[in-house]
Amino acid sequence: MWFKLALRLFKRELGRGELTIIAIAITLAVLSVFSLSSVSSRIQDAILQKSASFIAADRVLQSANALAEDYFADAPLDGLRQAKHITFSSMVFYNDELQLAGVKAVTELHPLRGQLVLSDSPFGEQTRLKGAPARGEVWVSRRVIDVLDIAVGKELEVGAAKFKVTGVLIEEPDSGFNPFNQNPRVMMNYADVPMTEVIQPGSRITYRYLFAGEEDNVKALTDWVEPQLLDNQRWYGVKDRQSPVTNALERAESFLLLAGLLGVILAAVAIAVAAQRYCQRHYDPVAIFKTLGASSKQVRQIYVTHLIFLTLMSVIAGLAIGYGIQSVVFEMVKDFLPKPLPELGAKPFVMAVVTGISCSLMFSLYPLLQLFNIPPLRVLRRNEGDMAKNNWGYLIVSGLTVFLLMWGYSQSLKISATLFIVGATLIVVLLLVSRLFVNAGRAIGVRPSNPFHLAMASIKRRVRANSVQLITFTIAIHLLLSLSILKNDIIGEWQNQLPKDAPNHFLANVTGAELAEVKKLLTQQDIHTEGLFPIVRGRLVGVDDERLIQFVSKEKEDKSDAGGRQGIGRELNMTWRSDLPKGNEIAEGQWLKADSKAEVSVESKVAERMDIKLGSNLTFLIGAQEYKAKVTSLRTVDWNTMQPNFFMIFSDDVLANFPATYITSFHVSDEQKQPLNKFLRDYPTIMVIEVGAIIGQIQSTIDQVSIAIEFVLLIVVIAGVLVLTAQVQASIEERQQEIVILRTLGAKGSLIKNAVMLEFLMIGVIAGVMATIATEILLAVLQTQMFSMDIAIHWDIWWMGPVIGGVFVASVGLLSTVKLLTRNTSQMLRSVNM
Amino acid sequence: MAVNDNDLHILRDIGFAVKPGESIAIVGASGSGKSTLLSLLAGLDSPSKGEIYLDGEPIHQFNEEQRAQLRGKSVGFIFQAFMLVQSLTALENVMLPAELAGKDNAKQMAEELLERVGLGDRVSHFPNQLSGGEQQRVAIARAFITKPKILFADEPSANLDGKNGHMIEDLLFELNQQYGATLVLVTHDDKLAGRCERILRMCDGELTETEQGSQTNVV
Repeated sequence: MWFKLALRLFKRELGRGELTIIAIAITLAVLSVFSLSSVSSRIQDAILQKSASFIAADRVLQSANALAEDYFADAPLDGLRQAKHITFSSMVFYNDELQLAGVKAVTELHPLRGQLVLSDSPFGEQTRLKGAPARGEVWVSRRVIDVLDIAVGKELEVGAAKFKVTGVLIEEPDSGFNPFNQNPRVMMNYADVPMTEVIQPGSRITYRYLFAGEEDNVKALTDWVEPQLLDNQRWYGVKDRQSPVTNALERAESFLLLAGLLGVILAAVAIAVAAQRYCQRHYDPVAIFKTLGASSKQVRQIYVTHLIFLTLMSVIAGLAIGYGIQSVVFEMVKDFLPKPLPELGAKPFVMAVVTGISCSLMFSLYPLLQLFNIPPLRVLRRNEGDMAKNNWGYLIVSGLTVFLLMWGYSQSLKISATLFIVGATLIVVLLLVSRLFVNAGRAIGVRPSNPFHLAMASIKRRVRANSVQLITFTIAIHLLLSLSILKNDIIGEWQNQLPKDAPNHFLANVTGAELAEVKKLLTQQDIHTEGLFPIVRGRLVGVDDERLIQFVSKEKEDKSDAGGRQGIGRELNMTWRSDLPKGNEIAEGQWLKADSKAEVSVESKVAERMDIKLGSNLTFLIGAQEYKAKVTSLRTVDWNTMQPNFFMIFSDDVLANFPATYITSFHVSDEQKQPLNKFLRDYPTIMVIEVGAIIGQIQSTIDQVSIAIEFVLLIVVIAGVLVLTAQVQASIEERQQEIVILRTLGAKGSLIKNAVMLEFLMIGVIAGVMATIATEILLAVLQTQMFSMDIAIHWDIWWMGPVIGGVFVASVGLLSTVKLLTRNTSQMLRSVNM
Repeated sequence: MAVNDNDLHILRDIGFAVKPGESIAIVGASGSGKSTLLSLLAGLDSPSKGEIYLDGEPIHQFNEEQRAQLRGKSVGFIFQAFMLVQSLTALENVMLPAELAGKDNAKQMAEELLERVGLGDRVSHFPNQLSGGEQQRVAIARAFITKPKILFADEPSANLDGKNGHMIEDLLFELNQQYGATLVLVTHDDKLAGRCERILRMCDGELTETEQGSQTNVV
């Protein structure tokens, strides 16, 4: 019986506001968690997989010595694919011409991630493939072909063996990105290495063991490998390498996490507001049920059934919509993503369902408990059971739930605790400030004929309710502002970093004699560069009176500049220049002047690592001579710009007399490629490095991450709108009785409308202002602590916050009021009576 | 009898009995305590001191659950403010007590009762689509669906105009007669009170006099 009654009541209630809002909010929470954990994490997985191609694997064990045959005998290798390669430098010969080449000997499965691009002639048709050259064969880069004047089909000598050239290697995914001193590539089969006899004791050889597979398996191997790493070994994944892609990924991850979290919290607030309202509206029916003989059990059954219906419906709807969205999103972006796409798995489903159920239960629990306790006496004493008790219990339960959701979702106690404490502090501050605002209104007198005074009177009358409202509005607007600003900042910064015309070519090894011709070409083709940087190679051998060798190990430096640039301890690429290069900023000291003598500017991270201070005297070995230079500035360098960057920049006098080669970078359009290649064929010793493919990869990564971010923001916006609507709707019903009385007493519809609109407008604007202030504070914290960006004042939001707040709150309020006013007075009187 | 409400004695030294089938009116000015008395008699509230027996049951010893059970079984209510559930139709409102009591033929009984109070054509209307008089007729139909032994009516016609008020009063007494229920009527209207067999007058929480109604068993 009770079930039929519950079902009937539920059907009737569905048409009314609160249940719809609760339903949408639960749906939204489920949907956002589901789509976040499926769409964005799958996009992230896919991106990660794709960026894994930067190292041709998921993890790499790099070693200076060959590992024992049985090194991995006990390792958990289940589900992992393996490959290995050896890299070393060696002279290669053809017809008496010789060239120092970077030889890479690979096994058949290489690369595990990404593909090689191969061609049968330097500018011929390209094919993508995985694999190694056959035994006795090599693939060589264009430059080998150019410098040695060799062709496909000819035999190349590497050490003691001869190999047939069977392909031109255009691109390899893990070529790294080192415009300096990159020897042209010769790729051979791993099994052919002994034939060359180049590997002797003491040879500088790098062994890399590549692994790819499911993250769990990779993790298991990581746990196995890491404890036994020696000093000259490294275990790394794509995320361990500082590159624009990993930076982008990390920021995107933080953002998605934060946004998803806030979306869920907003949805939870919407549920709480609507559930409270729903339950309050059912105080009378519950009193009637009890009067007519309903037991507490029956009342509980009826309303718990409602909650179960609602939760079920919403969770299913959320999953269905979420599934639809992720299918659509994947359909849209599948061309950008590597295949096969990562599996969806059960995790998103479980997470979404748990979130939906805990949101609906925990945030409606307390209002429901209050509803169950409504005494039947309310039928006679009309305000019996109205909110008399304080809400500490509810606050604690809700707070705890929010915290647990944050924790479960972020998997980080630190992030969730920080956000939670900041949020709680914010609410307390807002509560105080809103009281202040509202009380300030008391000074203004009341003349009922004026809508402004009516509005002020109304605000004053509901100080407590208005404070709560103000806080809800403020928080919702605040979160929306923060996220959209953060989104713009992140995406904007990426785009600034890699604009469409970012350099896609490096020209290196340009001799002084070729300089004029290169400059001519660049002018002719209207190619913009940041200038040609002279390079002199040298070694840093001393800091002040200390010789360097004792305190710098090679491994230490390898770990910290994983981008592949040569570090200190080995030969350095050094330059001189009178103007500060783009992307460089002086952190300490003064930039070199035109008349500076024996001065050097040092990159600040290197300085920190080497304990180099402003004023230190550095000793360099250039050729066979030692030179001293005083450190007069420390620079921060943005390594993500696609241009030559230097640890050491000298004043003109130090290096000018050394023979230098020049390097530059620039953007070349497709039309300009032909003349460039033609030019380069005339100057075979000039080295050209195309980074277009890498940039393309970075850009497509950023595009994908941007899609994920926009999508999440949309969900959060909907959640925010929902909170605002729920709150306005709740407070409109509170105003109903008052509106009826004013109406009955003959107040014009326009007066009431204007008064309500003004009231909401004022609350909205105040909320907007407070949200803006809170946003600036939060952004400053987040940008410095979480996203390692610079603090910036966002002038836009100073008008956006109040305008959005005022307009939105006022319009929703007005709409609801107009709906009330269209009903005739007697009808309203009747419903108010109830 | 006293209700402890902020240490305020609302009712004191009240003692009376109502016989089965009898109709009594409790009259008095606003604030005289008559609604409080009604809430105690009907088991909506419990006294801090004193004893109340309803249908032979010591309801002063009952907890809320037991009182609800007793109300569902033996008591009907009619309120000044109608107290209909806004989201249920007229028919569903009438069915409500029978459904809560687990009766099978709730719908049929409700239809008959609505027909009886003259609302056979308005069964699917919601309360806010009905006039005040119509709403109170729905409430009367609802009060009788469980065939209560005792009916409590709190100012049943106070919210209605004269004509509608009289119609409701007539209907109430008519049905009460027909169902043979005991009627406890709270009103400040002496004329209405006069239609009951006995009148209890309340003043400042005390029962000052009892008198015979002038018109007994008016049909």
